[in-house]
Amino acid sequence: MDLVERGSIESMFPGLRGTDWEQTSPADPAYNCIGWAAHDTMHWWWPSAHWPVGARRDTLESFTQAFQALGFGYTTNRDLERGVEKIAIYMKELIPSHAARQLVTGQWTSKLGSYVDIRHDLNAIEGDRYGRVVQVMARPIPV
Amino acid sequence: MHTTIPAARDIAPRDLFSALRDQWKRDTLVESSMTAIVLHPAYQRIIGMGDRALPFLFAELKREPAQWFWALEAITGEDVASDDLPFAERVTRWLEWGRQHGFG
Repeated sequence: MDLVERGSIESMFPGLRGTDWEQTSPADPAYNCIGWAAHDTMHWWWPSAHWPVGARRDTLESFTQAFQALGFGYTTNRDLERGVEKIAIYMKELIPSHAARQLVTGQWTSKLGSYVDIRHDLNAIEGDRYGRVVQVMARPIPV
Repeated sequence: MHTTIPAARDIAPRDLFSALRDQWKRDTLVESSMTAIVLHPAYQRIIGMGDRALPFLFAELKREPAQWFWALEAITGEDVASDDLPFAERVTRWLEWGRQHGFG
């Protein structure tokens, strides 16, 4: 895997500086953060692109509907819970901008646009680019 | 969004495409919104190049595949590969369409 310069990612996401994060994949234009959160690395999930279920609008409701169709429900608990998989939806200026998926370690994994996947703390990529986490959803881990 | 790319009348099509491509890739690298990606001013200028962009788009799709499908569909008017197909299959279908139409 080609490693990109940490500084280039930290310059885009200053909240990563000084936190425990790492690149976990090469760049890949095939999928984005929503697909990655849904375990799909072959499609670019977005209401104006590949969107299997739910209204095709760039709204939080559309995104939560899509994840509800995958078995996720609303939660306010962002902590690691045994047997539970969580995703987090970020919004910037009232438009969904990003989603992350929780790992079994309690940290989170994100696909950054068409760029790389990273492992990170949930709040470390909040800021000018992705805004803030506005909704966490959870489902039992499929067996 | 600020752009320093010259007007089309002042630059060769190949150079214009390269400049717009680079700006679009740089600005949308970590962008997930397909809406924002295809509405980026540089992407819109590539669509605005019309048929003149097609040789460069197909060459780019072969060299370094990216989300060029909206531009190809907008310029050609053809629905060659749906959003619901896997990315690699969409690339393959568009490159095949390009070969059949004299690109590549």
